[in-house]
Amino acid sequence: MSPKSGDAIRPSSRHGPRIGVFVCHCGHNIAGTVDVEKVAEALARYPGVVYSTHYDYMCSDPGQELVKRAIKEHRLTGVVVAACSPSMHEPTFRTAGEEAGLNPYLVEIANIREHCSWVHEAGPATTDKAIRITRAAVEKVRGNHPLEPLQIGHAEKCLVIGGGIAGIQAALDVAEAGYEVLLVEKSPTIGGHMAQLSETFPTLDCSQCILTPKMVEAARHPRIRLLTYSEVEEVSGFLGNYHVRIRKKPTYVDPEKCNLCGDCEEVCPVRVPNEFDRGLSERGAIYIPFPQAVPSSYTLDEEACLGLEPLRCSECARVCEVGAIDYDMQEEIIEEDVGAIIVATGFELYPKEEMAEYGAGRIPDVIDGLEFERILSASGPTGGEVRRPSDGKVPKEVVFIQCSGSRDPELHKPYCSKICCMYTAKHALLYRHLVPDGRAYVFYIDIRAGGKGYEEFVARAMEEDRILYLRGKVAKVFREGDKVVVWGVDTLTGKRVEVKADLVVLAQAIVPSPGVTELAQRLHMSCLDEHGFLKEAHPKLRPLETLAGGVFIAGAAQAPKDIPDAVAQASGAAAKAIALLSAPALVHPPEVAIVDEELCSGCGICAPQCPYSAITVEEVAEVNEVLCEGCGACAAACPSGAMSLRNLTDEQVLAMVRAALKEAAEVTSG
Amino acid sequence: MRAEDEARPKGSPDSMGPTPYVARHENSASPVTRHASRPKIAVYWTGSCGGCDVSFLEVGEAIVDILSQVEIVFWPALADPKREDLEAMPPGSIDVALINGTIRTEENVEMVELLREKAKLVVAYGACAHLGGVPSLANLSTREEILGEVLGEGWRRGPPPGGPEEDAPPDLLPRALPLSQVVRVDYTVPGCPPPAGLIGEFFNAFLSGEMPEPGYVFAKAKALCEECPRTREERVLKRIVRPHELLPDPEECLLDQGLICLGPVTRGGCNAACPQAGMPCTGCLGPTPKAGDPGLAMISALASLVRAGEEGEEAIPKEDEILDQLVDLIGTLYKYGVPTFCPLSPERERAGVRGKASPSPVPSQPGRGRRKGGAA
Repeated sequence: MSPKSGDAIRPSSRHGPRIGVFVCHCGHNIAGTVDVEKVAEALARYPGVVYSTHYDYMCSDPGQELVKRAIKEHRLTGVVVAACSPSMHEPTFRTAGEEAGLNPYLVEIANIREHCSWVHEAGPATTDKAIRITRAAVEKVRGNHPLEPLQIGHAEKCLVIGGGIAGIQAALDVAEAGYEVLLVEKSPTIGGHMAQLSETFPTLDCSQCILTPKMVEAARHPRIRLLTYSEVEEVSGFLGNYHVRIRKKPTYVDPEKCNLCGDCEEVCPVRVPNEFDRGLSERGAIYIPFPQAVPSSYTLDEEACLGLEPLRCSECARVCEVGAIDYDMQEEIIEEDVGAIIVATGFELYPKEEMAEYGAGRIPDVIDGLEFERILSASGPTGGEVRRPSDGKVPKEVVFIQCSGSRDPELHKPYCSKICCMYTAKHALLYRHLVPDGRAYVFYIDIRAGGKGYEEFVARAMEEDRILYLRGKVAKVFREGDKVVVWGVDTLTGKRVEVKADLVVLAQAIVPSPGVTELAQRLHMSCLDEHGFLKEAHPKLRPLETLAGGVFIAGAAQAPKDIPDAVAQASGAAAKAIALLSAPALVHPPEVAIVDEELCSGCGICAPQCPYSAITVEEVAEVNEVLCEGCGACAAACPSGAMSLRNLTDEQVLAMVRAALKEAAEVTSG
Repeated sequence: MRAEDEARPKGSPDSMGPTPYVARHENSASPVTRHASRPKIAVYWTGSCGGCDVSFLEVGEAIVDILSQVEIVFWPALADPKREDLEAMPPGSIDVALINGTIRTEENVEMVELLREKAKLVVAYGACAHLGGVPSLANLSTREEILGEVLGEGWRRGPPPGGPEEDAPPDLLPRALPLSQVVRVDYTVPGCPPPAGLIGEFFNAFLSGEMPEPGYVFAKAKALCEECPRTREERVLKRIVRPHELLPDPEECLLDQGLICLGPVTRGGCNAACPQAGMPCTGCLGPTPKAGDPGLAMISALASLVRAGEEGEEAIPKEDEILDQLVDLIGTLYKYGVPTFCPLSPERERAGVRGKASPSPVPSQPGRGRRKGGAA
């Protein structure tokens, strides 16, 4: 072995357990504060320990070799590695143990780094604590049983919730990899918010032109089952084995027959605000959100219709030449088993009505960014001409207010909505292109243009398109005649600014899609952050996963995101889902809660303690081992001692506590 | 074994021998006559309320059948046997001694030691003998505090009123003890008092000769909740109330209603008698085999169940407030088991409240054997 290896100390062998202790220096991380030699010495004298040593970097190849060799040479029945957190190298050493013929669950880590050397000064007391921690781990190993990981089969379908660009991309990627996909979208068409946009920053691609091919691809893909006008009603099961129940509302129009002639909408006597145009136009009760909608069909909005039961109008059916309209269409319940779930429920804009200080909701010419997108869009209510909602005039002075509802911890949302700087620059620039004699003002706090070509885009808007950027907050927006007056302060010059504008566009904060809270509950995901966005399992290292195994997140459901980020994350989530779906079997740690059925009275105290909903109680409690993460909340609550954790029984915990608290006089001298 | 045979009361013609009682059913083809084979039983009370003695009547008519199959050799509550009668019996001559009551006086110690010597099997009968029982709540005070309270400050021991020839009342032990902390106990029939079903179960086993492993407790290993008909909806503790503060819903689990019901930590076997009657279980059948310290187990369970709205920092003080409504911790959680589950603090030990934690007998006290009169 390496010459740097510490001396092995071999006390006389004993009957019973033969435990080896391996103390890691972790360079100076541990050895700088803990006298590792003393720890190894003290443990050598501990009952049950037949081999104890220390080494520079136990996780290095030679370090692992040291462990493996000792297991074979000393016929070890258990191993304790006193090193860093088990979340770091537990798998490393368990694998090493397995390679040397020891059941991996007889290898335990004593964390003397995070729990000891990193949080204390060097000295005998620190060494003493390291010894106590290691002794406790020896006691745990002594009580451990060899275990086998649980093998779980899984379904091979993937559910994607949300048919925006993130959901479409994820569905396409998973389907391309050869797996069946259910793509569920609550509105009558896929496409999401991206379909509403006019152009995209910073390239000014026509949004629909780059989106619709993907929509069509998703609709035509043989392995994607498109479920529009549908909602996920119930999710049960667990990692790899979810059972989902989807409710598909009736559209009352057969998409196979509908030829999009539009006669039905023309004769429909009902007029309601068109959501797709953010209420800037009207639609009939029977409608198509936009011409390229997928599936390509009209939809009869039951809520808006004069009445289906009893039928009160039936004009649409009368004029439909192809007989596509079917008033007897029923809702459908679709039940499927899926292995993975990708949640891509997207975002909404923070309601502009919340911005009382900007007169939003009261003044018709104070609109939000998506409304302005529709006004800019060639397929929008104004046919792509910039006209303001109140009187249809072309606005000559337009004020764009950034951070409307964002970065405002007192009144609104504390976070930055990330995409507003860029889309406001785009709005102002497009406005200047469409109304060359108009003037555009942008009130901003900071310009955040991190991204490929973003900074250059904003610079172009400022310099080439002569948009006036004013650094400061808007104090008040009010109406004066047919003008909307904006009062603000330019904090760079310190001067008050008043603009008599024709139109004000608010870059509203991005908020999670409504209903995501309910959906998260259905998915048993305790994973919404304080603002209601889906929370990732780890903000840096597991950004696509949630704490619910097999549930991944994509797009703006996680946080405000622009299109490239959403698409990239969608492909990432798809890769995660594919990895899960392609595994021959899923492996789950066997250190889970178990019920002694001879003792369990079925009192049910355990079940509500389980954060993973792994426990059901009928006659006796039953633990779904796959859902169980081994947290032990149930075992702690169980009053009759019927619930215990594999390899962490009450007896083991008490033995560990005793080992940790026992006097250690012989080692504190150094 | 000759002496034993000689000491056998008249009418017991031949060898019972030192072997334990063997099964003899009514229809048994055994050559030994039924009369000859009737096992001898003793029933004794120490610091007891008398409820355990009465509990036999609870068995109903079957008790006639049971008692007709045994020979009662010593039962102060029924007859008037004296200590001398017991002393005269040969060691091991009694087949089973059922002892109820807490061990509170020196005389209790002497009598149960005597019974242990004379009986092949000793059964702790009832919660007092099993765990210490309600009278052992006295252990929360020292012997001196108790005597001072009852007799007044500055009391002194005087000579027996009838002169030195008369027996003095027995001394109080420093603490009340369960039977197992004084003599070896073979079996336990728990309860306050033991429910009829469990008494019947014991006699069935005893009379059939199919006794379980020594140490067996004649009650279920599963908690009471198993036999409780009450329904659980939402397992959440939102408040804590005492029985006099609430007229409980007749269907719903009492714990869910805020009553501290010890059902989840207590052995079944009583058919959940108290919860069925609307009173929370107080734990008289003792903790389930792996509950450990039942009070701690219950506190862990309550702390897990308590909810004051959404989880989080703000909920903690509110949840603490709910848990603070739990008054009289020891009386609620350890009503029957103070000497079994509540070790004394060092201060208490120094104050003179001493008992034996091990099953070894209490050492002889000065004055032991002084009392020679009737045991009853």
